Amino acid sequence: MEFFIQILIAAVAMGTPLLFATLGGVISERAGVINLGMEGLMLVGALVAFVVMLYTGNYFYAVAAAAFASGIVSMIHGVVCLMLRASQIASGLALTFFGTGLSGLFGDKLMGETVEPLSRIPIPGLHTIPVLGPVLFNQDVIVYFSYLCVALSWWLLFKTRIGLNIRSIGEAPEVCDSLGLSVLSYRFFAVVGGGMLIGIGGAYFPLALTPFWVDGITAGRGWIAVALVIFAFWDPLKALGGAYLFGLALALELRLQILGIDMSPYFLKMLPYVLTILVLTLVTIRNNRRGIQVMPAALGKVFFRGEKH
Amino acid sequence: MQIFLEKRVNATSWARLLVLGAALLLVLLISWFFFLAAGIEPMAAFQIIGEEIFLTKYGWQDLLVKMTPLMFTGLAVALAAQMQQWNIGAEGQFHMGTFAMTWVALHYDGQLPDGMLIVLMLIMAMIGGGFWGCIPGFLKARFGVNEIITSLLLNYVAAAWIDYLLFGAWRDPGTNNFPITKEFSEAGQLPSFGNTSIHAGLILAFVFIAIVAWVLWKTKLGFQIRLTGDNPDAARYSGVNIRTLTILVFAASGAIAGLAGFSEVAGIHYRLQQNISIGYGYTGIIVAWLARNHPLGVVLSAFFMSIVFVSAEVLQIEFGLPISMVYLYQGIILFTVLGSDIFTEYRLRITRFLV
Repeated sequence: MEFFIQILIAAVAMGTPLLFATLGGVISERAGVINLGMEGLMLVGALVAFVVMLYTGNYFYAVAAAAFASGIVSMIHGVVCLMLRASQIASGLALTFFGTGLSGLFGDKLMGETVEPLSRIPIPGLHTIPVLGPVLFNQDVIVYFSYLCVALSWWLLFKTRIGLNIRSIGEAPEVCDSLGLSVLSYRFFAVVGGGMLIGIGGAYFPLALTPFWVDGITAGRGWIAVALVIFAFWDPLKALGGAYLFGLALALELRLQILGIDMSPYFLKMLPYVLTILVLTLVTIRNNRRGIQVMPAALGKVFFRGEKH
Repeated sequence: MQIFLEKRVNATSWARLLVLGAALLLVLLISWFFFLAAGIEPMAAFQIIGEEIFLTKYGWQDLLVKMTPLMFTGLAVALAAQMQQWNIGAEGQFHMGTFAMTWVALHYDGQLPDGMLIVLMLIMAMIGGGFWGCIPGFLKARFGVNEIITSLLLNYVAAAWIDYLLFGAWRDPGTNNFPITKEFSEAGQLPSFGNTSIHAGLILAFVFIAIVAWVLWKTKLGFQIRLTGDNPDAARYSGVNIRTLTILVFAASGAIAGLAGFSEVAGIHYRLQQNISIGYGYTGIIVAWLARNHPLGVVLSAFFMSIVFVSAEVLQIEFGLPISMVYLYQGIILFTVLGSDIFTEYRLRITRFLV
């Protein structure tokens, strides 16, 4: 029992960066902008958080700086694919290249440096609940912050006027434009706000999961998050479940051997990626069969004011 | 005063070239500031790069050597893109190509008649890469699964598979436990030109560029591919089997990316080892984009991206800058080219009056 609780605790920790990134993706895609630069943004967030942590030793500064930096970098994506009307897919890929290069370039001298990982703070009262207590309420501050972000982004998207506008712009930008909404500003802020969350997801790697710098610290998790946005049906609450499910897969990857399953570490490394492809396929089949159309209708389409397509 | 965009009546190709030139100038300008930030005298850096690349025999060799895999991967991405499909898994297809050809080389070296081994290796590389390309193609064609995500995730799977072999069954016990296979005999090596490191893979790349260009513009199959890319509905109504075509194009795209692996292993390393691809598969995306998915344009853009790779090497040697700068530059180049595209179709108009 104790062992399984340990796995679940690790699942939440491993799922947290995925959760932040998926939330960021959900917000941006609800407004109709695909962000394929998640991997790059996470790397930028991770790098900045690590550097700030190294020099200030303050977790709050590190997370804030990571959010700020990835917000700035995602502005490039916003400018290129919204104002300059380039392909969102290509621009997102450019963002991944850019972030990978940036973190590789400045991370080169950081190899081998270490920071103190975040410590767990039990929430009084709640952490004594059996199973759920230690799993959900005996984590670090960033994990608690992620709960808040899930609730806030759900509330923002589904319970406020702004959220309604964002979702409408993702569905029918022309209509929103004729109603006087600024499609480009909403999209731009959704991209930047989403980018900041993605950056915080990246920051979680050096601050909690691997408290030393390695090249490519996010190891493709950004791409798993791209798939998770689809898996979560563009819904922050479902993102929570999806992220922890994949967190569980990642946590199991490290512990299968303890369970007596003898598997080459290289095959274990493949597992999360293969699992993502499988789940994505199943979700797509399910949606096709039921005729569900949850994807924002204008996702990925260039909006051009005052011109017919 | 008002600034607005006015649609050009017809986007001429010289306008396109002009804009592309301006975008690349912007890249140079960004580099200027970048060098300043890194504490390097920009003019000195440009001069050293220029001299090392274009004024030395080694520089030219290196350009052509690095251009070879980029032509293959760029062509692979471009072919799929002609059908509006994103194959960003060229990196993994590259690796699976190296896997399949090395399997032949390790098992049949010395047992085949003259010249057969290298041909078999070539075919196996195409099968390996093609099979890996088929997976996202099949999932897209059969179930509509997003091919961008699946093709990319398979890159990580392929990399882990190569590591599994290199750190396991295929490790050459004679080399101090380095994760490398034993060297192929001469029957498994591509010939080089004179005593340069330029190898027959370069010619092979040109051959495949010609083949793909011919297929795309001179055959019914190519017409169907381009038609599906332009207008899938029209293609469907005219009787194109889009499902089969998608799988076929992904298989062909993967096979070409696999050839990049073949040319690198059989042309340069003569054995399977780690880091054979320094991101050639990913760079193929940019090569294809710069070429506007035209096979002949791939030659030029592969040459251009090769300059970026070799420049990064020069900077690494001369100024100790890490090689991952290549990725940063690829991002900057793609961003500037993407951002400038709008000016080929629209012109910036500044007027003093409200219109």
